[in-house]
This record gives sequence, structure tokens and C-alpha cells, in this order.
Amino acid sequence: MNQSLLEIRNLAFTYPGASLPVFERLDLAVRSGEFILIKGPSGTGKSTLLRLICRLNQPQDGTVLFRGRDITVIPPAALRSSISYVAQLPQMIDAPVGENLLLPFSFRANSKKRAPQPETLYRMLDEFYLGGITLEQSALKLSAGQKQRLAIMRSILQEPEMMLLDEPTSALDPESAAMVFSIMERLNRTEKMTIMTVTHSDYRPETLRGIVYRLENRTLQLREE
Amino acid sequence: MNRIIDISTGKLLLAFVFIIVAQASSIFYHLGLGRDIAIGALRTFAQLFLMGYVLTFILGSENLPLTIAIFAIMVISAMSIIKGRVKEKQVAYILPTFLTMLVTYFATAFFVSGIIVDSTPWWEPRYFIPTGGMVIGNSMSAIAIALERLFSEMRQRREVVEMKLALGADFREASDDVFRNAVTSGMIPSINAMMGVGLVFIPGMMSGQILSGTDPLVAIRYQIVVMFMLVGSTAVTSIIVMLIVRKRCFGSGEEVLLSSR
Repeated sequence: MNQSLLEIRNLAFTYPGASLPVFERLDLAVRSGEFILIKGPSGTGKSTLLRLICRLNQPQDGTVLFRGRDITVIPPAALRSSISYVAQLPQMIDAPVGENLLLPFSFRANSKKRAPQPETLYRMLDEFYLGGITLEQSALKLSAGQKQRLAIMRSILQEPEMMLLDEPTSALDPESAAMVFSIMERLNRTEKMTIMTVTHSDYRPETLRGIVYRLENRTLQLREE
Repeated sequence: MNRIIDISTGKLLLAFVFIIVAQASSIFYHLGLGRDIAIGALRTFAQLFLMGYVLTFILGSENLPLTIAIFAIMVISAMSIIKGRVKEKQVAYILPTFLTMLVTYFATAFFVSGIIVDSTPWWEPRYFIPTGGMVIGNSMSAIAIALERLFSEMRQRREVVEMKLALGADFREASDDVFRNAVTSGMIPSINAMMGVGLVFIPGMMSGQILSGTDPLVAIRYQIVVMFMLVGSTAVTSIIVMLIVRKRCFGSGEEVLLSSR
């Protein structure tokens, strides 16, 4: 039997000061190469679940295992170098596109990874539907859709084992959203990238076997689609 | 020539003219500062008189425990002023700030009083207390400014800090610019003071020495030591406090503990 890449056991989380937990006794197993889609209405804790996996929030109870190791014993920077999280509203530093893309390589946890050359970056910009963009232009002046694709590309450059994408299309027009979906599916299909994404849209991957969960009643339900 | 002219009680009360002018301005322009000016004036009057009597007593007593106790009370007072200015509830910054202030200010006052001025004993109250007072007063403002900046930037830039964390940065790398901005914002007034001293203004201590009959060439030596001491102690204290408090802005998983506003 394949060992899970990620395993969540009995996870419970309540926001400070809140009377009800966001979820309790939540279990999930993710195998390498899977495409996990988590759906559910706003406020059910979909984003919180992703943040708990990369330790941007701490659970009150339960365990998260990555490659069989409790994530609390993995140095946080090393964990996040392996499990890359892209927030709903992508953030850029006030610097050119090239500097933003190479930002992960300035961190010690990624020091053993090789920073890509400009030719590689330009090739990837094309693949991410960002063909007209130069590495010298300001990243802050890009549109929301361009920033979202650039943020996903930046995460991929650090070669994570798993990607967590938080509502990656919520702020985008349908055309930009379609581009992001297409990128996610291609990454999963050709790069075998394990992807977990949350959304409250009707999107589901059509060209591959995605596993759809619904977050309701404070736990995850597997949904057949 | 070296005799200092005393200020009589009547003349001292005449100085209240300045406060009356400030009060009148506040009333005329509806500044709403009347209460603060009145309380500030009364506190200045009361606190300095109290300090005067305490110093007279201490300078005459030559008592080490008493000197250290006065020094500690000054640091505690500075901490309570910082606490009043920095309204932060989520991060426990008070104890580490207080301990850092106590240790670094003591070391600075010891270095200046005991080594540079070479007073005997090293805690000679005439040198140790005023030196400590200047260090505490100057550095207190710097720490308050730096702490306010650290907390406000950490909140405002929380998403960027989290983006860097998510890309594999440790908490130091993720908050590097926030830390730098906080320390420099606290340091700038001290550095500006070095630029303007002797040109734009004559510092209080030097003015005091000259008024009391000290040779200006002696007074400037003291003032140079004081200016350097203030910049150095402010830098060291601010950096240590920011390093400790920044760590406390992050949890065990190096997640940001401060909520956005």
C-alpha cells in the first residue's frame, strides 16, 4: 500500500474567541500526484485547512503528517519549502518581476535549490500565459490575474512536493480563471504535482481524476461527481 | 564669574507666563490641549522639585543601594511611559523590554560614569544618575517609536510576511524589512540630533553646564560623550528589544500571531 504524502488525523480548529469550532475530527489522506479539490460555502474553513497544513495557523488538536512525519517536528521553513501555499490574494514585493520570481531562492531553506536562468523564466512565463511580460517590469503593476499566475509560477520554481492553492480564481475574470485552471491541470498531469485547492466555484477538473471533497458539518465528506 | 545666579520663587512663578501663553493659544484656536498643558505643567513642577530634593539627598548620602534603587525607579517609570504609548495586547513585550532596558542602560551608565569620566566610586551619584537619566529619557522615546512601528507594520504587511513564510522564509527572513524599518525609525531622532548639535541647538546638558559656570571647552567634551552615548545605547537597546519582541510576534510554527487590522 502506498504511504500517503499527507495525512490529517482528527484535526480540530477554533478561532480565538469563537464559540464554535471551524472543524473537528477532520481526517484526510492525500497520495502523491493526486489532485484534491475542496469545496464548500464561504466560512466553512476551507482556507483555514490549507493554512493549518503549512502551519500558518496552529490547530488545537489533531495531527498532520507529511511523508509520515508530524509536521510540528519539521522546521517550519523546510516544511513550507516542500509544501508551497499560494494565498487567495497573491502578494508581490515592490520589485521587478524577475526579483519576485527569484525571491524564494534568497531564503536559507531553498539555498540548495538552483535558481533558474532568465531563459528558463521567459519560457515559463510563456507557459503561464504571461508571454508579453519582461523580468524587468514592476510586479506590482500587473493585473490580479497576472499576479495570480506569477504567484503560482513562483511557487513552482522552488520545486515543492505539494502545492496548496487557496481560491486561486476567486478574484479573476472567467478568462483568467480558465488559464489558472489549465495551469493547475497541466502541472498535475505532466509534472505529477500533488495539488490541493479550495474553491466555492463549480469548477472540477475534467481532464483528470480529481478527488472532490465537500467541507460541511465541520468535517470533510468525500463527494462523488 | 563662576557664580550661578539663583532663581527666586517669585521669578520661578513668573515662568508660568509661558504656560499661560500656551493655554491662551489652545483656547483661542480650540486646540483642546488645555487639560494636557495644565497637567504637564503641574507634573513638570512637582516631578522636578521632587527630583531636586531626591538628588540633593542622594548626592549627599553617597549610598550605592540608594543610587541603584533610584536608577531602577527611573527605568520602571520609562517602561510605564512606553506601555502607555504602545497599545499592544497580543504580544507580551513588556518584560523583555524592561529587562533589556535595565541591563543596557546600566552598562552604558557604568561605562560613561565609571570608565570615561572615571568617577570614584564608579557609581558616584553626581555622574551616574544624570548619565542614566539622559540615556533612559532618550532611548525610551526610541523604543516606543520602534515598538509602535514594529507592531503596526507587522499588521499592515502581514500578507507579505506570510507570502515570504509560505515560500520557505524563516521568521527572520520574512520580517527582515519590518525589523529594519522599526529600528531605523527609532534611531533617526538620535542621529538627527548629532547632525544638528552645536549648529541648530545647544543641548540641555551643555547649556546647563555653561549656565553653572563650566568652561565651554569642558562642557563640549561632556556633550560629545553624551551624544555618542545616546546614539550607541539607543541602537543597542532598540536592536535587542526588537529582536526579542519580533520573535514574540510569531508562534511555535513561525506563524504570524498578530491579526490584521
